[in-house]
Amino acid sequence: MSSRDESVGCERSVDAAPYVLGALADAERYREHLADCASCRSQVAELQLVADTLPASVPLIRAPEALRQRVLATVRSEAELLRAAGSRTEEPPARAGRRRSLRVSLLGGGLAIAATAAAAVAITIGLRSTTHERVRTAHIAASIQGAQASLRQTGSRAELVVSGMPQPPLGEIYEVWLARSSAPPQPTDALFGVTSSGSGSVNIPGNLHGVQEVMVTREPLGGTSRPTNPPLLRVAL
Amino acid sequence: MQLVAGADADAFEVILERHADAAFSLAYRMCGRRSLAEDVAQEGFLALWRSAGRYDRARGSVRTWTLGIVHNRAIDALRRTSVHDRRRANDDVQEQELEAPERTDVQAMSNAASEEIRIALGELPTEQRHVIELAYFGGFTHTEIASMLDTPIGTVKGRMRLGLEKLRGHLGGWQAVGA
Repeated sequence: MSSRDESVGCERSVDAAPYVLGALADAERYREHLADCASCRSQVAELQLVADTLPASVPLIRAPEALRQRVLATVRSEAELLRAAGSRTEEPPARAGRRRSLRVSLLGGGLAIAATAAAAVAITIGLRSTTHERVRTAHIAASIQGAQASLRQTGSRAELVVSGMPQPPLGEIYEVWLARSSAPPQPTDALFGVTSSGSGSVNIPGNLHGVQEVMVTREPLGGTSRPTNPPLLRVAL
Repeated sequence: MQLVAGADADAFEVILERHADAAFSLAYRMCGRRSLAEDVAQEGFLALWRSAGRYDRARGSVRTWTLGIVHNRAIDALRRTSVHDRRRANDDVQEQELEAPERTDVQAMSNAASEEIRIALGELPTEQRHVIELAYFGGFTHTEIASMLDTPIGTVKGRMRLGLEKLRGHLGGWQAVGA
């Protein structure tokens, strides 16, 4: 496959400007086109430099101190876990497997404290690790600061585990959504509540192929077909 | 960034201190609400922390990369809301021009380059500036903008291109702030 000549114009070059502004509706297809079109790549590169200057036109506001503290707390916590994971990767695989089984068993028993500890172990095992279970930590909304959540994926099976979540208000429940590309998030039948201590878990139904984010919102009992509240937690895949 | 990629939290703190205000400002300009802007900025910085190994110095400064992540996160957040809500939020931010209490936190960017960009944007023909702002800061797709303005899609794309090219002409060789 030969790359299109840069000196030859391309009919899709009209998409370069909306693309660099983040406004091209079918950006994914254009991204694929760029791999094969030197002319468009060149135009995107030139216009991207201009688009990158636009944030500087925004009046500068001081970021809230609480935001800095939340970000730093998460980062320091993950750095600590990664250091711990570094030392554990030297353990024999069989032992690591036994630890995962223990974690699942504890979670099944609904022990909140154990669940929190297990979640930490799960993150330890999963982040940048080579085990078969992949664990991703969730981005938590400022409104439920203190909550933790992680998505554990083993093969085609995925489970969302939360701790420190507030109880949904009377008549409401947490609903899981799957977001693909720029399409609206798709509802799932994964609805869940949490224990009095704020812990809970739910299996993510369906295939996660092509899914970019797993999200949770608070919705009326029975769930909805479109989110009516902003996401409380999001896991990027 | 190499240190951050190696999970050095202290190195990350330096990056956070350096770029938090710009990231939050961009998120606020796009989202129009402080709480959502905080969520977007938080997600952006955590994404940066977790994907620091993918940073390529040849493709731009750390600031450009950081703001690119925040911009994408803000677009994702905006596109989960209706076009109507987005338009209202976008209009509100422009009308308020950061009234109190935000104004007390606002600092005039002393950077001459930033002033230059504001002037260059202001000198664009209104219809070109409008589509660029709706696209970049409003999170609208080109088809949504065409529909909102009752203008052919090709015209919208053309205005975006002309506007960016004029900006490039105004700015000359200038590149991203903090590069």
